[in-house]
Amino acid sequence: MNTRRVAVTGLGVVAPLGNSVEELCANLVAGRSGIRQLDIPRWEGLRSPIGASACFRGDAHFAASRLRMLDRVSQMALVAAAQAVAGANLDFSRENRDRCGVSVGCGMGGAESTDEGYHIIYAERSDRVKPYTVLASMTNAAASWIGIDYGMTGPNLTYSTACSSGAVAVGEAARRIQSGDVDIMLAGGAEAPLTFGVLRAWEAMRTIAAPDARDPSASCRPFALNRTGLVLGEGAAFVALEEWGHATARGARIHAELTGYGLTTDTAHITRPTVAGQAGAMRAALNSARLDHGAVGYVNAHGTATLQNDAIETAAIKQVFGARAYALPVSSTKSMHGHLLGAAGALEFVIAVASLERGIVPPTMHLDLPDPACDLDYVPERARTGVNLNAVMSNSFAFGGTNAVLIAEARDLQR
Amino acid sequence: MSTLEILQDILIDEFDLTRERVAPDAELAALGVDSLDLLELMFKIEDRYKLAIRDDVPNDLTTVQDVVGFIDRLLAAQSKSPGSGAGRHTAT
Repeated sequence: MNTRRVAVTGLGVVAPLGNSVEELCANLVAGRSGIRQLDIPRWEGLRSPIGASACFRGDAHFAASRLRMLDRVSQMALVAAAQAVAGANLDFSRENRDRCGVSVGCGMGGAESTDEGYHIIYAERSDRVKPYTVLASMTNAAASWIGIDYGMTGPNLTYSTACSSGAVAVGEAARRIQSGDVDIMLAGGAEAPLTFGVLRAWEAMRTIAAPDARDPSASCRPFALNRTGLVLGEGAAFVALEEWGHATARGARIHAELTGYGLTTDTAHITRPTVAGQAGAMRAALNSARLDHGAVGYVNAHGTATLQNDAIETAAIKQVFGARAYALPVSSTKSMHGHLLGAAGALEFVIAVASLERGIVPPTMHLDLPDPACDLDYVPERARTGVNLNAVMSNSFAFGGTNAVLIAEARDLQR
Repeated sequence: MSTLEILQDILIDEFDLTRERVAPDAELAALGVDSLDLLELMFKIEDRYKLAIRDDVPNDLTTVQDVVGFIDRLLAAQSKSPGSGAGRHTAT
């Protein structure tokens, strides 16, 4: 039996709903949406010029000489990771850095730098591509910069499994701690996809929500009959994961224990999810946590607000939780922070941990018109507080088929 | 303005440096200017002098004065053969 347990000792976010976990939670409980009309170059050329942008300026955090090397995705990742490090009260000069690593989920890498480079070449018809374009746009740049900043010489990994990347990065990091390879992992996800080229490509796939004519912030409506698709968001979210004994020995505050991680793959089609695949990932996570489904008090759903996902996910939850599914709070916070792609799973795991710690269940907003095919308790419109939670689940499913589910528990914690 | 002064102004603006630090004998590495930074810096030099130079940047430029010398040599060569340098970055 595996005896190495994984403690979550630090949390950090740069997200559409706030640049700290405190601010994020306050906005989630208030049901505020970070989705808005986008103000990016060429937005007029978009059918749905909406997105969930973070209130984040790199120049507030980095000198000009450093900024030129960092795509927005790495900037947000570094700031979110720094929050997790500070919150965990980690001092890497006191650690064996060979036993410290980084694990990041990222779908599109430095999309702004890629977009800009192609614009220079193909639109401006110039060959003046910036010398840092490769280093800024490579998908592992965010992970690399974090490793460099803290001198972590253990594993430095980037996972790219589309919309489940962030959850996979956190889950795989936990596995490395459990296996004994490392004691500390900074794990999370980052994505900065709000550029014209990326948005237009997503639009071309017909998966982006139509803007709500009266209120753009209400455009993402998971589980609702009138849902029209997902809304892209940007940001980064990180957790400091630490071997339990290592954390307690240095007197670290433990937010939660990461106990479950389940992984399955849908092979029916590159975009089409399956009930069996999603349910299988939830079961695998419960099995790895050695947890009965009855202990789970909240599920942060993948809940993209696409026609297909929400109905399939609902059916999968029913298959795993049986009759109890109808009494289980399930919410999609994407209704407020949008879909952060490679960062989504990490942000939603942070939200799940924060919910567990605070006894809150964030709502699914803009759900006033229920879909008969989606008939669970989605915590519509209003957050719940004062809820006694012992275990929470976070679902992340992806184009390409990688289904990842994480479980955090509050056992052995002083609350 | 001399080539040195123009280069110093660019370094001060782009690399958060003070005038005292960008003396002719200052080493680029000590100023936080690495080889890729130097290539990007050459875009500014190209604009200022209507030169197209970045593919020809040698990798033995270590001080501010080395860069000044390199630019001055290019300018001298350009004045001998007009029209050979400017506009090469435009692919149309």
